[in-house]
Amino acid sequence: MTTMKKTKAGIPTQKIIAWVAISIIILVTLFPVWWVVRTGFSSKQEIYVDTFNLLPVGPTMNNFKRVLGMFTSEEAVAQGGTASGMDFWMGLKNSLVISTTTILGQTFFSAMAAYAFARLKFRFRDQLFFLYLTAMMIPGVVTLVPNYILMARELQWMNTYRGIIAPSFLMTPFAVFFLRQFFLSINHELEEAAKLDGASIPLIFLQVILPLSVPALSTLAILQFLGNWNDYLWPFLIGKDETMRTLTVGLAVFQSQTPQGAPDWGGLMAGTTLSLIPTIIIFLVFGRRAVNAIQFTGFR
Amino acid sequence: MTTRTGLRSAQRSDFAWAWLFILPSIIGFLVFFAVPSVRGLLMSFTNWDLLRPAKFIGLANYAKLLGDKEFLHALRVTAYYVVLNIPLQTVIALGMAVLLDRFTKSTMIRGILILPWLLPNIIVALLWLWMLDPTLGFINQVIMSLGFERQPFLGSVDQAMPTIAAINIWRHAGYTAILLFAGLQNIPKDVYEAAAIDGADERQMFMGITLPLLRPVLIFVLVTSLIGSFQIFDTIVITTKGGPVDATRVVYWYIYEYAFVRFKMGYAATISVALFLILITITVIQMRYFNADTSDLD
Amino acid sequence: MRFRFNALAIALVMVSSMLLAACGGAAAPAAEPTAAAEPAAEATAAPAEEPAAEAPAATDAVTIRYGLWDGNQQPAYEACAAEFTKTNPNIIVKVEQAGWGDYWTSVQTGMVGGTAPDVFTNHLAKYPEFASKEQLVDIQPFVERDGVDLAQYLPGLGDLWGREGKRYGLPKDWDTVAVVFNKDMLDKAGVTVEELNNADWNAKDGGSFGQIIKKLTIDEAGVNALDAGFDKTKVVQYGFVGGGSGGAYGQTQWSHWAVSNGFKFNDGLYATKYFYDDPKLAETIQWYADLNLVEGVSPTLADVRSLGATALFTAGKAAMTTDGSWMIGSYVNDAKFVTGFARLPKGPEGRKSMFNGLADSIWVGSKHQEESWQWMKFAASPACANIVGSYGVVFPAIQSGVDAALKAYGDRKVDVSAFTAQATEANGTFLFPVTDFASEIGPIMDATMDSIMLGEEPAADALKAANDEVNALFQ
Repeated sequence: MTTMKKTKAGIPTQKIIAWVAISIIILVTLFPVWWVVRTGFSSKQEIYVDTFNLLPVGPTMNNFKRVLGMFTSEEAVAQGGTASGMDFWMGLKNSLVISTTTILGQTFFSAMAAYAFARLKFRFRDQLFFLYLTAMMIPGVVTLVPNYILMARELQWMNTYRGIIAPSFLMTPFAVFFLRQFFLSINHELEEAAKLDGASIPLIFLQVILPLSVPALSTLAILQFLGNWNDYLWPFLIGKDETMRTLTVGLAVFQSQTPQGAPDWGGLMAGTTLSLIPTIIIFLVFGRRAVNAIQFTGFR
Repeated sequence: MTTRTGLRSAQRSDFAWAWLFILPSIIGFLVFFAVPSVRGLLMSFTNWDLLRPAKFIGLANYAKLLGDKEFLHALRVTAYYVVLNIPLQTVIALGMAVLLDRFTKSTMIRGILILPWLLPNIIVALLWLWMLDPTLGFINQVIMSLGFERQPFLGSVDQAMPTIAAINIWRHAGYTAILLFAGLQNIPKDVYEAAAIDGADERQMFMGITLPLLRPVLIFVLVTSLIGSFQIFDTIVITTKGGPVDATRVVYWYIYEYAFVRFKMGYAATISVALFLILITITVIQMRYFNADTSDLD
Repeated sequence: MRFRFNALAIALVMVSSMLLAACGGAAAPAAEPTAAAEPAAEATAAPAEEPAAEAPAATDAVTIRYGLWDGNQQPAYEACAAEFTKTNPNIIVKVEQAGWGDYWTSVQTGMVGGTAPDVFTNHLAKYPEFASKEQLVDIQPFVERDGVDLAQYLPGLGDLWGREGKRYGLPKDWDTVAVVFNKDMLDKAGVTVEELNNADWNAKDGGSFGQIIKKLTIDEAGVNALDAGFDKTKVVQYGFVGGGSGGAYGQTQWSHWAVSNGFKFNDGLYATKYFYDDPKLAETIQWYADLNLVEGVSPTLADVRSLGATALFTAGKAAMTTDGSWMIGSYVNDAKFVTGFARLPKGPEGRKSMFNGLADSIWVGSKHQEESWQWMKFAASPACANIVGSYGVVFPAIQSGVDAALKAYGDRKVDVSAFTAQATEANGTFLFPVTDFASEIGPIMDATMDSIMLGEEPAADALKAANDEVNALFQ
């Protein structure tokens, strides 16, 4: 590093610029999300009328009541909504069960694989790893049908949690790749010290690598959890029965019902707002954990 | 800078453990990725129409693909999207991650940045479709109140693709920033302290420390987001449906159209194989170029 | 919780599916429809995983899964299903609804995987494909056995669902197109509904309907488009908004204009040649595109493409549009102003609307085809038509049902006679052009119509080229 004549006063200027940038980013990020919430509280007749208004137009709770099933289907249709509302609590339960289970399995098993790819030596290691990577490049349209046949015919896991969870329970190429890259950047010293003490590989993995990787593991787990939460097509196709619908699948009933019809904006956005709440809570609770863990493990 | 030191003695036991560690993931890989892909590959040699038994037709689909102008157009449009999307998204995300890392560790702010990604794809697309509407959208109201002409955005042949790229940058930049932020946490803080004592400013520290040490994660982000952006689809289904005219008929849309609208699964699989080969080539080049297996930390 | 994985089981599955993929070769993914039904039914019967709703195995009752896409019709058909089960206590109908796009993805993957609904609502643009791929039960033998009277349906509707002596659906409902208007804007401009109902139209200058459009188009200064001082770059209220470029059929966009100008799509059901190069069509489409491109009395294609004409109309940006009868509810419920429906203008060949209708079809993979037929027959019977009509969301295919619908709309003070008069007028309708290759014609015509509407190509040239491309499909 070259030394520069940098006055102490220069640092606050940088800080100011940084915070201005952060504020702009936050504004750009938040505004459309606010639009979702605002529309959720707007009444159907006014949705297109006052589109320059930052506040809900014709404020109403009706959209939320419809989403939460507080109207009969006839009342909902009379309000211009769709008859089949979403069962919010059922959807929440399904989403939680499916996402949690998927992520627990995926994170652990992917970490095992990633560790082997990053640290252990065996034949065809790099070839196998690259093969895993290629799985990300296969267009999903093509694997969708074979996977669906596998579920519907060969495994007969239609309408089950297993059917929805299975494809990403044991690994996703994304997770293995992500964790391998992190393990690569972990310092070797601790591992080697443990090895000299006679620790076996599983012990090193469980007691050295995993604790050291808490930030990476939790980041991955949270992101994959939330990504899973928003999965749509697969849970929709496998969980045909209403009792198997996740929140995201449930939301789709507010989309356009006819080839040319407009979506039920109020219902759709109210539903989106409600399904956003649990994900924000999860992120805030576990996201904080992830950061704290960095200091806790003394990892520099 | 690479390290492959030590551990030589333990190599033999490594071998057994390694396969045991990989076993669960390999099962998942085989059942849900490899087998369906092999089936997909086999489909590409057939005339399967999705509903009736398939007939083997050899390389006929591939011959058709070679002369398919629409496919070339789709490839060009997709490449255009990738070029619009990836560099800008990565730079913005990197900037955001560094800002977060250097100036605030607030979970709240990270929570805000990831919000766009918490919205389902379909909702993001619908939301922007509305906000960008030429007459009823908020954005154009702002543009007009500033005294400019209103813009057609998604409705114009020229603007549709850049608009879609912008929507997806909005959705993914925060998410990508969180990934990079996690990577930044792996960089020892004393390196920065030492540099600061030497009088380095933020820019120098970024170029001299952050970028090189972030490389493994940066590669990961580039590789995955590039692969993802070649498969752009959801946003297009909702906003432009391949139009106006054919301005946003990307490869993935083309595959989808053949598979589920035109009932030509065999040809859809063929296009997929082609896309797959293109992606593999790009990824190999990327990994070679960045020397992805090593970190500069040691 | 039962998502623990038995690694061995998975390994077995893995090996067997590998074998399947390898040995089965190309044939592996293909589904023999009849074989498909079997595992699906077993899957439904698997006791532990199955949600309680589907466990009638204990009784003799059979559950028929019935798919539809229009959520607004769901209560009506659930009422029909309840009525049906009263007389057929051993058949339970379970209604499954998903929005238009998801609905078809789900039906198609269901057919591949053996899990499609027993009976599903079908569409004219889709059914020939399913029929030619042997996915639909030919119900003609059932119709003959039970003596179903096809004359009970409005003329023409029954024909749409037959081909070469086979029959794939019984009509449930129909739709026509009419002019939708903003009454407040009409009043302000001094245009009466009667004037609108009596308007005429031609492709040269738009006729008196064209004059009304101009009268209803107003710029910032409050000047309308009939006035020489009109500034078409500063329009605040458009006289007319079309529903976009309309693709291959222009059902609610241009088909009524074109056919009333003497255009014919083709020579009837399952024709093998289209006439998109007809100068009558070119002339019409050019008029339609020039409403924006030249006259400035209609929004640009870009304006219409995003949220659609319905949104612009509802937002009070345009005084009139044309749309199908299935949209009546949206217009009446969503607008803050008074919305009305007027007859299509009289063209050189009279008033013409596309006549389209939905029907139910039975999937060949259904394990309960007899029960499916019973339900299908009921759904297309006067009893169900009257129930559906009374909900006032759609016009049933049987006259008594139409009367029930008219009464329901009347109770809500909505005058929908513009749609029904069109349907019953002699030669007032033409049928949806059902042919093969619909899924290939679509993308060709979408791009063509877009480029005309954007002013990139004159209609005559673009349509000629597109017509060659379309007809080449049938070679």
